[in-house]
Amino acid sequence: MTVIDILTRVDSICKKYDKYDVDKQREANVSGDDAFARLYGAFETQIETALEKAELVTKEKNRASAVAMNAEIRRTKVRLSEEVPKLQRLAVKRVKGLTTEELAARNDLVLALPARIEAIPDGTAGGPKATSAWAPSTASRPDIKFDSDGRFDDDYFQESHESSQFRQEYEMRKIKQEQGLDMISEGLDALKNMASDMNEELDRQVPLMDEIDSKVDRATSDLKNTNVRLKDTVNQLRSSRNFCIDIVLLCIVLGIAAYLYNVLK
Amino acid sequence: MSSDPEKMMSKADKMTKLTLTRWSADWRGATELYEQAANGFRASSKYERAKVALEKASQGQVMQSSPWDAAKHMESAAALAQKLSIWDEVADFYRKASELYVECGRAQPASDALGKAARALEEVKPEDAIQLYTDACEILEEDGRDQMAFDLYRACASVYIKLEKFTDAATFFLRLGVAADKCDATNSQCKAYLSAIIVYLYGHDLKQAEKCYNDCSQIDAFLKSDQNRTASRLLTAYNEGDIEEIKKVACSSTVSNLDHAIIKLARKLPTGDVTAVQMNAGDDLDEDDLT
Repeated sequence: MTVIDILTRVDSICKKYDKYDVDKQREANVSGDDAFARLYGAFETQIETALEKAELVTKEKNRASAVAMNAEIRRTKVRLSEEVPKLQRLAVKRVKGLTTEELAARNDLVLALPARIEAIPDGTAGGPKATSAWAPSTASRPDIKFDSDGRFDDDYFQESHESSQFRQEYEMRKIKQEQGLDMISEGLDALKNMASDMNEELDRQVPLMDEIDSKVDRATSDLKNTNVRLKDTVNQLRSSRNFCIDIVLLCIVLGIAAYLYNVLK
Repeated sequence: MSSDPEKMMSKADKMTKLTLTRWSADWRGATELYEQAANGFRASSKYERAKVALEKASQGQVMQSSPWDAAKHMESAAALAQKLSIWDEVADFYRKASELYVECGRAQPASDALGKAARALEEVKPEDAIQLYTDACEILEEDGRDQMAFDLYRACASVYIKLEKFTDAATFFLRLGVAADKCDATNSQCKAYLSAIIVYLYGHDLKQAEKCYNDCSQIDAFLKSDQNRTASRLLTAYNEGDIEEIKKVACSSTVSNLDHAIIKLARKLPTGDVTAVQMNAGDDLDEDDLT
């Protein structure tokens, strides 16, 4: 083993057993009697561990372990915020060997603590990058805001100018629509009445038309009959047979007349 | 043939008179002469003489057994009498014409003749007019042509309304309803019933109106009609004494489709004391009355 090895080993062993070194501790803890300083120191270390853990979370790939670490950080934050009031009480206590400026400074430090605690990233604050896509409901969307903060008093339901105007317009349009519908219904009533009157009138005229039909039929057949008979009669009058008979009889009469004339002469 | 109508008249008269030389009247010739004489008189605006000529011509046609021509002549004579405002003769002539038409077996012209007579006498002698209308309707109903009777019923009812005999008018509307029912003319029937109810209401007769409404509700066709709704609205408005509602119903389109005379009556509703009706409502049977 080399000398360097030995030195390193000795160093690590000493560090390990440092806490048993009373002198060193006394040196490190200058403010051993001061409760405030002790508590404050503890606070500081805890905040620093929390910050380190938060850094680890951002680098963490495994989702489950990231969630677990975030929960740890949140638990630490809650514990620290609970202990802040104790620190505050200690801050105002006068301690031997402490100047007024230091007292005021301690107060300021205590006041700044809650802000520092809150500032530790624990996965719920900040943008959606901290949570992942598989937990959207836990993220509070920055776009949706509740202006009223849950107060439902008289003012909340007060009609604004726009809404009352809108309501007025709605009422006016409704009235106009009703007027239009009334006119339409009147027109329809008149149409219905006219249509049923027409219906009855047509019903009235149906038997009349039937009568006309039969009468005209009778008249046509009569005419046809008459025509045929007339044709027959005219034909009979003009038939050549009658004509020949007429001529023959006429000749006979003339012959008889001539014979008589001859006889008498 | 002389063109002087008077000469024709005297000639024709001579032809119809039986004398020793003439043993049978020559009606054909006489009728021809009478007709020509009548035309001549009409041309020269001698309506009195024309009327006489037409009368005689008609009689000639009767003698010749042609009632149709006779009836036609009678109608022309009646029209001339109307022009001369001799109302008795108008009625007589039209009645005779109608009888002749019935002889021919033609009911429509018969009732038309009576209708014309009634219209002519509406202003002057309304009672006669009503009688004529009624006879006309009867002729048509006997012949089974009820639909033609609608107009006559309506005219008759309007005459009654003018005479302010509201019960009679309503009765006629109900008769119209009966006639319409026979021909399945539901629209006319419902309008007739609504008119009857309005007439009763105008005559201050709410009880009658309600009875009438109840009777009419038995009829299916009326029950399903617009007129039924209007009637029920009117009657409820009357029972509640709501004048605004009555006026609104009277101006509704259903009422405006009725006869003119009825519309006028409806617009004048409510007549009389509507508040009296409200007290009647208190006389209703007690609900606990189990009799």
